Amino acid sequence: MSEEQLPQETPQPAPTPNPQPSYPPPHGGFPPPNAGHFGQGMQQSLPNATLVLVFGIISILTCCCFYGVISLILSIVALVVSKKDRALYAAYPQTYTASSYKNLNAGRVCAIIGLILSALLIISFVIAGFVLGWSVVTDQQAMKEFLESLQHN
Amino acid sequence: MMLYLSIVISTLNVKSLLDWLQAHLLACPIKSLSGLDCPGCGFQRSVIALLQGDLSRSVQLYPATIPLIGMGIFAFAHLKLDFKHGALVIKIFYIAISIIILTKYIYKIITYQLI
Repeated sequence: MSEEQLPQETPQPAPTPNPQPSYPPPHGGFPPPNAGHFGQGMQQSLPNATLVLVFGIISILTCCCFYGVISLILSIVALVVSKKDRALYAAYPQTYTASSYKNLNAGRVCAIIGLILSALLIISFVIAGFVLGWSVVTDQQAMKEFLESLQHN
Repeated sequence: MMLYLSIVISTLNVKSLLDWLQAHLLACPIKSLSGLDCPGCGFQRSVIALLQGDLSRSVQLYPATIPLIGMGIFAFAHLKLDFKHGALVIKIFYIAISIIILTKYIYKIITYQLI
């Protein structure tokens, strides 16, 4: 009996080595456990990934400040810089971390949305200026009268 | 150090800070020109309402304020701690916020300023 139980127990420890290697990756990332605190080791983050993400996020906060011009500038800068970094990552994918590339792409998406919002604002303002005339658009009282005339029709 | 901190906190009490903020709101150039709101109008009033603890008024004035602040804090934490799906979460937050801003703006313009 005891000899039969022993072989049954021996396969049970066998699965435990499998979970053990799978635990270190969540702690230290994908490199081997002996890579130390900063598991990336050889890899480094893309030079401008953080900048692109921050500019992309700020571009929505400032989407209406100063006619949307600040947002327009920030998002265009973020897009130009991210283009360089994407080329860098495409050339040397091994040298840079995947997480910084993800940050870069997220920042790029944010910058594109910020660019669209601010461009929409500026374009609609310019179109209103040309259609209604700048004298109406730049005068609160005239604008109010125009809107009231719309209401009565 | 603690003494300095207590002095600073007692002199800079929250109410005077709020009063100062309310007196120094930045005027929107588009609104002062045309009288029509821009998509960002209401944000500063909403932040002040949030600082006063009036959540419903804050949401009423500018619904995107709380998600925006949440995204800012999350993005800061993500840049420091590097979450696994942080970039994806930021993207989703961002798209949701832009949708909120646009729908609120269109609704506000149509209901309060055009008709």
